[in-house]
Amino acid sequence: MASPPTEARPERIGGALPRFSWRTALAVLLLLGLTGWSARGVEFDLAALLQGSGPVERFVSGMFPPDLSAATLRATARGLIETFQMSFLGALIGASLALPLAALGTQGAPEASARRRERLPRAVPYHLARLLLNVFRSVPDILWALVFVVALGLGPFPGTLALAVHSAGVLGKLYAETLEAVPGGPVEALRASGAGGPAAFLFGRVPQAASGFASLTLYQWECNIRSATILGFVGAGGIGQEILISMNLFDYPKVATLVGATMVIVLLVDRLSAAIRRRLVL
Amino acid sequence: MTRLALKDVRVRFGGLAALDGVTLEARTGERLAVIGASGAGKSTLFRALTRGVPLSGGAVSVGGRDLYSLPARELRAVRGTIGTIHQAYDLVPQLSAGLNAALGAAREMGSLRAIKTLLIGPGSGLAARARAALGAVGLEEFADTRVAALSGGQQQRVAVARLLVQRPQVVLADEPFAAVDPKTTASVLEALLGLNREGATLLLSSHDVEVARGFPRVVALRAGRVVYDGPPERLGERELEEIYAGTTPRAVRGQTAQTGWARVRVAEGRDGVSAH
Repeated sequence: MASPPTEARPERIGGALPRFSWRTALAVLLLLGLTGWSARGVEFDLAALLQGSGPVERFVSGMFPPDLSAATLRATARGLIETFQMSFLGALIGASLALPLAALGTQGAPEASARRRERLPRAVPYHLARLLLNVFRSVPDILWALVFVVALGLGPFPGTLALAVHSAGVLGKLYAETLEAVPGGPVEALRASGAGGPAAFLFGRVPQAASGFASLTLYQWECNIRSATILGFVGAGGIGQEILISMNLFDYPKVATLVGATMVIVLLVDRLSAAIRRRLVL
Repeated sequence: MTRLALKDVRVRFGGLAALDGVTLEARTGERLAVIGASGAGKSTLFRALTRGVPLSGGAVSVGGRDLYSLPARELRAVRGTIGTIHQAYDLVPQLSAGLNAALGAAREMGSLRAIKTLLIGPGSGLAARARAALGAVGLEEFADTRVAALSGGQQQRVAVARLLVQRPQVVLADEPFAAVDPKTTASVLEALLGLNREGATLLLSSHDVEVARGFPRVVALRAGRVVYDGPPERLGERELEEIYAGTTPRAVRGQTAQTGWARVRVAEGRDGVSAH
């Protein structure tokens, strides 16, 4: 492998890993430091995990055999159906709220040499829409659920609203980003021939982003199914409420049925939505 | 009315001068071909004519009005009189050929009309115009076909149909033949010349010098400057060498003697650069 000493060593061509530099070294140190600091902060302890295996084993073995009595199955079905309904309506309402907000929160390339007076009326709704979407999104759905439970009382309705608001925030941001990222040629061509902002947006951006919207919305629905199982823990309906009650009554066989059924539903919806989304890809 | 005038127009992208003091006028109804190497500034010139790029100097006027100081509403009105056709990619691929053709009338649509048109299609008047335009380019049976499903040549004919719906007073055709076959080239060129015969000013950029020779006036750009402006007859080999010189980076000059352009540079090699 050794090259003849007379020949100058050829300049190597690097791979995907960064070459050594003080900057990468610093980044690696920073990463290690953060890892240690976080592990200390959360009292990360593998020994404790192993020692805890006994109680976990008792808990898991307590779940078997799962409770398959008619009453439990009925409760499971009721909880699952409610969870499904919450997640679906949450995604639908969220998407309907997200669309107009995303339209306002989309910024194309600014008009060349536009006057400040002409730019300002566009900038104000843009920033307002983005701010609203950020508030919707940055508050987790379980916190929204607490808010709505306090306002409206227990039940699936506040849970649905919580999912809707959070979904609107997530979808609005993703819609807006999809709209901004579409190929710019059609928009430019429309504007160059005198189309106004709304027409250029509707024809140049929306059709190009539409399949992305559908895919994102389906994915959000999947996320909502998972979230909806948790929302019951704060009294906002869905199968989570049944799980919490059974846990508190130490009725582990029933917990097993409920959790197992939830997993099956989540997996099914994942498959279903993935299959639909695959067909949507253009 | 639609006289085009650029006066000492300068456009910079970062540190790079795309247009470097271009002064050019086109009379109403004139037919003008723009040639030049890639990166010479042809597209930027066309974009400046619809206020598609910010200027760093100079002025562009359309019909005697300073394009870059027009308020939004009047800018739209002026742009409505200008039709563009590009190399490719400026149709909306997800929409039908008919709807794309109808978009030639997008300037006439307010928000509500635009939403209605997008969702349920253009009204009967506009639909008839779009169908007629598609018929004129031989695509009437594709009115309901999504543009993404059409070939490159068919797409370019849809873009022509859109121009026919728009009926612009100025047509800016930026490399319209770069991605299409010779047969499409001929039919697209014929349609553009037809618009010109009906009175529209036609500016066409092309890398194909032979197409440009068919025009009464040829303007050549090189590195953002006008280096030739006149009839095609005076455009000899020597002028073309001049126009396309400098496309090879300076360091490579004289080393690539395979092409016609580079052969001249081998001669230049005498003044210091050695030719291998």
